[in-house]
Amino acid sequence: MVPIPRKIRVLIAKPGLDGHDRGAKVVARALRDAGMEVIYTGLRQMPEDIVEAAIQEDVDAIGLSSLSGAHMTLFPEVVRLLKKRGSGEIVVVGGGIIPADDIPKLKRAGIKAVFGPGTPLGEIVSFFKKAGKGA
Amino acid sequence: MRDLVAALLQGDKRAAGKLISLIEDDEPEAVDALQRIYPHTGRAHVVGFTGPPGVGKSSLINRLVRTFRARGKTIGVVAVDPTSPYTGGAVLGDRIRMADTGIDPGVFIRSMATRGHAGGLALATFDAVRVLDAMGSQVVFVETVGAGQSEVEIATRAHTVVVVEMPLTGDVVQTMKAGILEIGDVYVVNKVDLGNADVLVANLKFQLAAREGWTPPIVRTAALEGQGIEELADVLERHAIFLERSGFRHGREVARARQEILETAQRLLVRGVSEGSPTGPLFDRLANAVADRETDPHAAARKLLESHPKKKRPR
Repeated sequence: MVPIPRKIRVLIAKPGLDGHDRGAKVVARALRDAGMEVIYTGLRQMPEDIVEAAIQEDVDAIGLSSLSGAHMTLFPEVVRLLKKRGSGEIVVVGGGIIPADDIPKLKRAGIKAVFGPGTPLGEIVSFFKKAGKGA
Repeated sequence: MRDLVAALLQGDKRAAGKLISLIEDDEPEAVDALQRIYPHTGRAHVVGFTGPPGVGKSSLINRLVRTFRARGKTIGVVAVDPTSPYTGGAVLGDRIRMADTGIDPGVFIRSMATRGHAGGLALATFDAVRVLDAMGSQVVFVETVGAGQSEVEIATRAHTVVVVEMPLTGDVVQTMKAGILEIGDVYVVNKVDLGNADVLVANLKFQLAAREGWTPPIVRTAALEGQGIEELADVLERHAIFLERSGFRHGREVARARQEILETAQRLLVRGVSEGSPTGPLFDRLANAVADRETDPHAAARKLLESHPKKKRPR
């Protein structure tokens, strides 16, 4: 029997207070269709909730979506808490309405990639595939 | 690598998460880990939830987690959702409805995809339950995929089976059909706020008889409103006590062990046969012999099994 490749598990989460999750759902579905297991945790999550879920679900990567403007606070906080819990190997990426000026700052804070509106889904899928393999 | 099992037994959630993944991915180290975990299991009360999709299983579990936490119990949850038969992918969404309990240190929730396993569960589901049991979860809830009428595997695996139904889903004949409505130790009529619950309760009552000295109670709930949850928690605790006192808990453990040994042996056999055989010279000879009508497929299969090297121990 051909060895079955290890499943890539991804958490898609909406930190903070905005209620717009169409983008998160579109990404979740694209990753599902690429053969990954996607845990979607719904709206209005605290960074603590997201990190706890990521550890219990043992995901390879976390996709954070924010359209509220609070990404500079919330995204780095997720990275910080992951490291604090000894799970710094989990890849964190962001998406949503992120001003171009913020992207380098987010990357310096440990967010591995930022996918804004209009990013081709294929690009997002191949990023997560790579992230899953590296883990 | 850090010793995951040792960490698990200290209550480390990260270790629990990693171990469940090893089991799900069927990694070689999982067999050894499970062997070491097993002596530390058998303490948790395992409660399975089954019923049609959208009936409110996740929402009920969410409420029950809070209720049992308030009663001082630590809780594990394994929630199963289907894997796509086309892509192998899955969206696991049960956690959305369990978000209330996110950072409670006494709660561990794991979402799991079926990965092609039929019966409403994943192959790894009850090994994951063992991981949570060994970690110290006192009650473990297992949520099956939204089951149809025949996903009854949960009945052979849980101590207590909760069948969840809701009003307005069919007439009395639906409750007379064999399968899912025979396996419950407890029946929940959820979404009673929709109205018309009396009809379903009456239909269920008509079907349910005392079994082994336990008459399955019917509990009316409205999970989102929190209605009926205390009563449901009471019923679950009562069933746990009943199983303990009557000796049926041990009986169920033995029945489960029988099934599990058999299934695992079958799986190992299948794997052993399909791993070694298709490349071997005997397999080639047999295939040609069948094609040339020198022998038939049944006889060839038996010959293949007889020749299967006993010394090669499948993991």
